[in-house]
Order: sequence, then structure tokens, then C-alpha cells
Amino acid sequence: MMQEEFNEIFVKYHEIITLGVYGTSIALMLIGLYAVLMKKNLVKIVIGLSIIDAGIHLLFVGIGYIRGGTAPIFSPGYENAANRMVDPVPQALVLTAIVIGFAVTSVALSLIIRLYKHHNTAKIDQIKSLKW
Amino acid sequence: MVITPIHYIIVPLLAAFAIPLISKIHKELSRIIPGIVMFYNIVISFVLMQEVNTVGYISEIIAGWEAPWGINLIITPFSGFLVSLISVLGFLIWLYQYKFKKVIDVGEIKSYGILQMMMITGAIGIIITGDIFNLFVFMEIVAVTAVSLTSFYRNRDGAEAGFKYLLIGGFASAMILLAILLLYTQVGTLNMAEISERMHMVPQGIKATILVLFIIGFGIEAEMFPLNGWAPDAYSQAPGPTSAAFAGIVVKAGVYGLVRIIFTLFDIEGAFDFLIIAGLVTMIIAEFSAVHQTNLKRMLAYSSIGQMGLVLIAFGIGTKAAVFAALFLMFNHAIVKSLLFMTGSILMYNSKSKTISSLNGIAKKLPYVSILFAIGAFAIVGLPPFSGFWSKLYILTAAADKEMIFLILAILAVSIVEIVYYFRVVSNL
Amino acid sequence: MKKVFIIILLALIGYFLVDTVYNIPFGENRIGSIESDHPTVAGYYLSNTVEKSRVANVITAIVVNYRGLDTLGEVTVLFLATTGIASILYRRKEEEEDVERLNLPSSMLIRTGARVLFPIIALLGIYVFIHGHLTPGGGFQGGTIVATGFLLMLISYKGFNTNHNIMAWIESIAGLSFILIGVWGLISDNTFLGNIPEVGKLNSLLSGGLIPIIYIAVGFKVAVELTGILDILLKIKPNK
Repeated sequence: MMQEEFNEIFVKYHEIITLGVYGTSIALMLIGLYAVLMKKNLVKIVIGLSIIDAGIHLLFVGIGYIRGGTAPIFSPGYENAANRMVDPVPQALVLTAIVIGFAVTSVALSLIIRLYKHHNTAKIDQIKSLKW
Repeated sequence: MVITPIHYIIVPLLAAFAIPLISKIHKELSRIIPGIVMFYNIVISFVLMQEVNTVGYISEIIAGWEAPWGINLIITPFSGFLVSLISVLGFLIWLYQYKFKKVIDVGEIKSYGILQMMMITGAIGIIITGDIFNLFVFMEIVAVTAVSLTSFYRNRDGAEAGFKYLLIGGFASAMILLAILLLYTQVGTLNMAEISERMHMVPQGIKATILVLFIIGFGIEAEMFPLNGWAPDAYSQAPGPTSAAFAGIVVKAGVYGLVRIIFTLFDIEGAFDFLIIAGLVTMIIAEFSAVHQTNLKRMLAYSSIGQMGLVLIAFGIGTKAAVFAALFLMFNHAIVKSLLFMTGSILMYNSKSKTISSLNGIAKKLPYVSILFAIGAFAIVGLPPFSGFWSKLYILTAAADKEMIFLILAILAVSIVEIVYYFRVVSNL
Repeated sequence: MKKVFIIILLALIGYFLVDTVYNIPFGENRIGSIESDHPTVAGYYLSNTVEKSRVANVITAIVVNYRGLDTLGEVTVLFLATTGIASILYRRKEEEEDVERLNLPSSMLIRTGARVLFPIIALLGIYVFIHGHLTPGGGFQGGTIVATGFLLMLISYKGFNTNHNIMAWIESIAGLSFILIGVWGLISDNTFLGNIPEVGKLNSLLSGGLIPIIYIAVGFKVAVELTGILDILLKIKPNK
């Protein structure tokens, strides 16, 4: 069955798979943070924030994985699979978090449109008129 | 139908979804609806406070699943009192907003009503929820509405202040989300009461990480130094009723969230000292910055941040008297600061520019408003017999009980600074 | 100089994160059994959804039923974002005529392709959110798919206009129905968003009581709101 083969692969390459999932999400968070801190273009900064969110969501879903688990849906044929399903809670929470992240990004983009209309530029160093 | 805490949430939501439709038919009605909702909030508060005082603790379960399988809303005497205060303030701010000319002229008024009402609802939600992810959702409601309201006027500074707020706020919510995630993997539940029971199972290293992430996230909302860079810009650019709501309502919810997380989730000894230090630094830096300001609203914003620092100090002292003093100070500050922002906005609207010096002699034109502003200034600064004096006295007594001489000196020094910059404005009127 | 400083900061944060995550082994079974002293919520959901909620997709049951207040909050955030964007990019009536969508001229391939794909995409989206309780998917996912179809049409055709009036109506009615379903639960069962799960049998379209209905309302709301946001963001007054 597919499950046993997958289990074997999982045990053999445990380190790499862990590195893959966790490493990717942390890398995404760092890349996003770099973009927020270093980039001059406003749109790139917002994209950076979005990437940070993506990293966190990926980490969340990845942590919810259980070895050998299957999707938490009781389709026909899986009625008794309750004890080998992955954790459903992170997936539900990430669903909500993705939508909220989208809402924040869209508001940020609309603000950029307005800033662009006023200043005719989208670079952050030319827009900083509010100081300490 | 019995009045339960969920009414705080669903009545404003129903109104918010209905207003776009109603405004097509009858514009005036859609402006009054937020007022009716805010008034109903007061009614709910009245009923619930009586219930809490007899029963001691209200917990309402949502969707028929009791905690921790479902979400529950909790009202304690403390939180119930805070929410009642917010309801009353919300109604008063609405009364002010109904007549506030600048908003009526410039913007899309139905959106303003919806956003303002939902911001207050979000703040109430933060306080009454018993589930930590729900807390995150309500914080996002507050963030999105606050940013939209900050940029409501079509000038460029508003958009910039809003953008700054959104970036920092987005970062804060990412921190909180990460903290919730890590916490979930350790305790397996999302209900706050259960989490506090299971905290001893969490290894110390991860506990510290989660605490740091939470402090950064909530500190941004509660305007703790050094995370409050967004606040002066946001307060000064937002329309008058919104600044009043920021100072009186939103920041209270942020402080409440911060204190609740630190107290109920973590029992680390250093937490109290940390609050005192953070509050002290916030207060000193904010109050000293307030002296330089020429824009009235920015000055009020810095003063607000400073007062919140004082509240954090009071929570950090930790004795029962100190917590009571903190509560009293929050109560006092919410009312008086909102008053100051509202009257201040009227004064600024009627003067030539936004600077303090341009308010010269405005008392002749608007005598009542100026008197109200002066009363507010006296109250905040701590002149007897106004409430500010008593609240500061309580905090000083609590500090004296624990023999924190340095704190007493710092608070007195800061009060003198406050007197300086407030009197500068009042004498100018 | 600033770049070096930030790289060091990022390296520190990265090390800090890796160190934290290292203590959370990948794939470890954290659900445990529900008999233990500290039962996890996940265990409860997995064991009890079939009997108590009669819904095949556990995640849908969590999102709509167990944690329905979160979903309500999320729908609210979307609604408030739409309202906020409308107020940030507010235009008075006179200015409405000046705005136009900035479209690059699209080739015949795109135009024809968009016209063919759009109904298929919309159908897929509607399928996803109607079957949210049986297959992976649901209101948010399906609504997003439908909105993507609209986006395709919006950027291919300069003249394609969505009817804002109808969209406002759908949005408000969908939102109101979500809350009214909840209020009905409040009145009849004394809990907000209470469910009546006995309707239908497991794995059929008509299972799970109120859950599919709520998700369908959410699907419509999300589709309409996302399309509205895209429409507002795409309309810019050209700088003369």
C-alpha cells in the first residue's frame, strides 16, 4: 500500500524532509523580513509582508503534519481512519489567517495607490514627511 | 430572548451588513443606526454588569460546543466594567461624530459610521473572548478598521500615517500568529483557561520565545516603547472622533490583551518587573517628546502614550491596590483623553492651522469648548480635586507600599512635565 | 552599512527561529488520545465529528461549527477591508466618469480564451464551495476561485463591467443570512450558531445540517467581495 512505502521513505529521509518543510518556511519569513526592511519600493515592501505571512502559514500547516497521516476527511472507505489523520486544527486556523492576510494586503495596496497619486512616486524615501 | 455577551458582537455586525443596503433607501437612517447600536451596547452592559455582580463570572458558549471544543465569551467584574466603560464612551463619541462637520463634508459618511462602530466592536471582542485565536481575529478587525479610519481624509499625510500603521500592525499580527502557533503545538488547545492550566508542561525555552513574540505583538497595539512609532502619526491624522476612540478604547483593549496574556498565561517572576521597566521607559520618553510638539493632536497622542506607560507601571507593581489604581487610571484616562481629543479637534477645526500657537485667543470664539478642554487638561495633569489627582495618588501610594522610591520620583517628575506642556496650551486659549 | 547590519539581524533571527523549531519534531503525533489528562482539541474533533456533526470534512466542521465565531470574524474582516478600500479610494460622483481601467491591449488569444474559461472557472468555484463539507474546499476557497475568473475577464476586456448594485445586494444578503442563521440558533437553542445535524446522511450533499448553507453564503460573499476589491483597485484615474 502507498502508506507503507511512504513511511519507509519518510524514515530514511527524515532529516531532509524536516529541513525542507521547516527550512522553507523560515527562509520565507527571513526573505519577507529582508524585503520589508531593505526595499525602497512600497509595493515590494507590501509583498515582503505577504511573504512573511506565507512563511508563517506554511510553518503552521507543516507542524500539523503527523507521520503516516491522511487528510482529515471521512470519505467513503476512510470511515475508521480517525486515528491516522493529520491534525485538522492548524489547517482551519491557517484558512482564517490567509484570508485576513489577504485583507491586510489589499488595504495596503489601496493606500499605495493613494500615496502614488499624491507624490507621483512609490519610493519610500521620498514619502517620509511625517517625522518623530 | 436573554441578553448574553454575544449581543455585543452580533448586533453591530447586523447593523454593519445592513447599512449599505439601508443607505440606498434612506440616507439619514443609515447615519443614526450606529448610534442606536451604541446605545444598545449600554443597555447590554447594564444587564450584564448586574448579572456579573451576583453570579461573579459569565461564560457563554458559542455554537453549542462548550470550551475548549468551542469558543466561549467570558465576562468578569473587571472586564465587564471595562466593556461597560467602552460602551458608554462609544455612545458619547457617536454623538460627537454625528455633528462633526469635517467628516460629513469630506468623506463617505456611511463607511465612516460602519468602520468606527466595528472598531469599537473589535475592541470589545478582544476583551470578552476566551479563546486565543479569536483574540487574534478581533485584533485584525481593529487593525483593518483603524488603518482605514486613519487614512479617511483625502490628504497625503493621512495615507502615509495609515500605511505606517498598517506595516507595523501587520508585523505585530504576524508575531502574534507565530506565538499562537508555537503555543498550540505545546498545549494542544486554544482556550485561554485551559492554556493557563497547561503552561507548566511547556519547556522553559519555548515559553520564553512565545512570551517575547506576544510582547512584541501586543506591545505594538498597546503603544509600549519602542513599538509606538506609529501612534503619534495615526492619532494626529485621524478624524477627531477616531482619535478619541483610539485613545479611549483601542489602546485600552491592547493594554488589556497584553496584561491578560502576561498574567494568566505566564507566571514568570520577571514579568512584573518587565512591565514596570517598559512602562517607565514609555512614560518618560513619551512625556518628554510631548513637550516639543507643535501640533496639538500629536501632543495629545504623546501624552496618551505616556499615560498608558503609567498604567503599565501600575499593573507591574502587582499589588491589589496597584491593580485597582491601574483600573481607575484607565477609566479616568479613557474619559478625559477622549474629551480632550474631541474638544481639541473642534478647536483645531476652527483655527487657521494645526499648530498650538494658532490657537491664540480662541477662547473668545468658542468659550464652552475651551473651558471643557481646560477642565480635561486639569484632570489629566492631576490637579485636585479632579480625578487625575486621585488616580495618581493611588498609584503613588501603591508604589510607596512596595518602597519603590525611584518610581515615585519619576512619576512626580513626569507630572511636572505634563503640567508644563498642558498649561502652555491652556494659557494660550 | 545598513545592509550589513540587517543581514546580521536576519541571521540572528533565523538562528533563533531554527533553534525554537528544532524542539518541535516534525511529524510527531501530538494529537494523542482523548482519554488522557490533557486531551487535545484535535483528538476530540476527529473522533466526534462523524457522530455529532455528520459532516465528512473535519476542517469544514471546525471552521463553520466548532469555531464558527472565528469564521464570522474573518468574514467581517473581509467586509471591513472592502469598506475601507472604498473609503480610502473614495471618489465623488463627478469624478466617477473620469476613471477608467488601465488595460494593456490584449491579443485575440487572450480574449477568446478568457471568454471560454470564465464560465468553467466560475462553475469550478461554485462546485468547490457547495461541496465544502464533503471534499477539501469550502466557502473561502470556492469564492476565491470564482473571483479569479472575474479577474481574468477584468484584465482581458476593458469594457467588461461588473454591476456594483447587484454585488452590493449579494454581499449584504449573504452576510445577513450568516448572522441570521446564527441568531436563529440563539433563539431556538440558546446558543449562537447551533447546528441541527440530523438532516441527511453522511457523505451526501444534504448532510451536516446548517453547515453547507453557511458555507454557501460565505462562498457567495467572498466571491463578490474579492471581485469588488479587484474592480476598485483596477480603476485608476489616469494622471493627465
